[in-house]
Amino acid sequence: MIAPYLVLLIAFGIVPVIVAAITSLEPSVINPGGGPLNYLQALQDFRFLPALGNVGVFLLLYVPSMLIVVALMSLLLDTVQGRWNVPLRLAYIVPASLTGATAVLVWYFLLEPTLSPYKDVLHALGITQGGQIWRAPNLAWIFALMAFFTGAGNWIVVQYGSLQSISDDILEAARIDGANAWQIGWRIKLPLIQKYIVYMGILVFAAGLQVFVEPQLISSSVYPGLASNWSLNQLSYSFAFQSNNLGGAAALSLMLLIVCLIGAVFVIFKTDFFEGAGVKEK
Amino acid sequence: MTTSAMDPATISGRTVARGHAPKKRSVGGTVGRTGVWIVLLVYALVSIIPMIWLLIAPSKTAEQLNNQSPFSFGTFANYGEAWNHLLTFQNGVIVQWLVNSVLYTVAIVAIACITAVLAGYALAATAIPLKRSLLIITLVAMIIPPVALVLPLFIEISNVQLFDTPAAVILTSSFYPFGVFLAYIYFSTSIPKDIYEAARMDGAGEFATLWRIALPLSKGLFGMLAFFSFSASWVNYFLPYVLLGSAENFTLPVGLGVLFSSTPALNPGNGAQQSVIGRPEIALAGLLLAVPILIVFLLSSRLLVRGVLAGSVKS
Repeated sequence: MIAPYLVLLIAFGIVPVIVAAITSLEPSVINPGGGPLNYLQALQDFRFLPALGNVGVFLLLYVPSMLIVVALMSLLLDTVQGRWNVPLRLAYIVPASLTGATAVLVWYFLLEPTLSPYKDVLHALGITQGGQIWRAPNLAWIFALMAFFTGAGNWIVVQYGSLQSISDDILEAARIDGANAWQIGWRIKLPLIQKYIVYMGILVFAAGLQVFVEPQLISSSVYPGLASNWSLNQLSYSFAFQSNNLGGAAALSLMLLIVCLIGAVFVIFKTDFFEGAGVKEK
Repeated sequence: MTTSAMDPATISGRTVARGHAPKKRSVGGTVGRTGVWIVLLVYALVSIIPMIWLLIAPSKTAEQLNNQSPFSFGTFANYGEAWNHLLTFQNGVIVQWLVNSVLYTVAIVAIACITAVLAGYALAATAIPLKRSLLIITLVAMIIPPVALVLPLFIEISNVQLFDTPAAVILTSSFYPFGVFLAYIYFSTSIPKDIYEAARMDGAGEFATLWRIALPLSKGLFGMLAFFSFSASWVNYFLPYVLLGSAENFTLPVGLGVLFSSTPALNPGNGAQQSVIGRPEIALAGLLLAVPILIVFLLSSRLLVRGVLAGSVKS
């Protein structure tokens, strides 16, 4: 019964990691001897540190803004019960349907002062040409903005859902003790959904670390070269498809994978998120 | 999609309070209340503006997009006009991309859901060796973003000569650990263990128990599995981008990238200047990608809440 899944798990979950591990030690043009030198060379590539810096700044903008805005908005949403709650939730998940390639398309238009729905705002800021926005120093902000709007709405609804699991008795007790809405949100609700927020933070961080589509599409079509090798995944893609250095690509991919793996293991064993899921030793 | 089986316990095993206790929350008086509403409404507005803009963009010609107010509507005829222009791009390859996207997605959703239900049931209700290890591996695979495996998968797929085949995308995307975990949680919390036991006592085998007892109680689970696998595979870009090589195998998201780079619509420096693919056409192509997912999201927003937090079960 478990066999079909097991086949997929082995074929596309475990084997690729093993194949990549083997490939990462193979000889390449720049490293005819092969071996662990591939890893060192990937890290020493002149594009590695800039890409690491880009992704680092991107994560610094993206992860905290997700955590803060999602926590705040879901708490606010939770104060609205009744008929207005549903339309608000539906509105919030709309941006999630604009992901990947469509997100790039939409944000291109949103940030294009000649036809943006926000063109008045952009003009007021003195921006009359897209080129004023699409500049290298702004990229981390733009990509963080894209990723934020794609993901935040759904997470607000999800965290709103986790707030629904708080028992009314607790909230009622706090109210009787004279706590106001602000105190209830900050002192009671937030700590109670903390583990969901931590879970989200780790998923968001792991996904952000792998950022690829947005810079790749911008760079390969809209503003050629603007964001080439901007992210770590793009660099690994370049190793594989431009420098013909599959070993280096595999090495870099594996290093990124290991960071995500650590995050995953942390969630599973060091938080109580999956407590009761049959994972912990009895 | 709601079945009576979903109601007593939500998938997360928690009871969801339907409507809170009588509202006596004073949010620091009227001012605070108004402030909360302003924030909620502004955020809602900011959330829907891009979609509304995209919905009406193809109703206008390229000039109208530039000259008219961003939210003015052109004509319905322009949607047809833009579609006809899209059809001229590489002999109507966009139709092929659409068909591919639909076919791949249907295949992925089918394989992913079936394997997930079988495995989830096996993990939850039967005695199999190494259960705990399998669960942990599944959890790890579920938390690691799929993008992280794309290059390793590319290396593997090239080694087995599947590069640039639909099977490459379908098979790799059908690996669905999140679905397995959802099904596992569902079968271990929403259906009482006694039911499985009773069926076995009556001499039913595992498949018979799954088929006759568990599946009829699992419509809600199927909805959720299909929802999450659809929303992941319909928009997937990186994996098909890397695993496919020729235009006739591309999916709509990858094709959209091709459109971006072969028209001067987004970048005047690109492509043939006399291309009929302009901004309305690009917007329409984006819309074709976004609308199915929008509809599915709006129809199944409840599933989002139940599914994502399925991990935290009360034991």
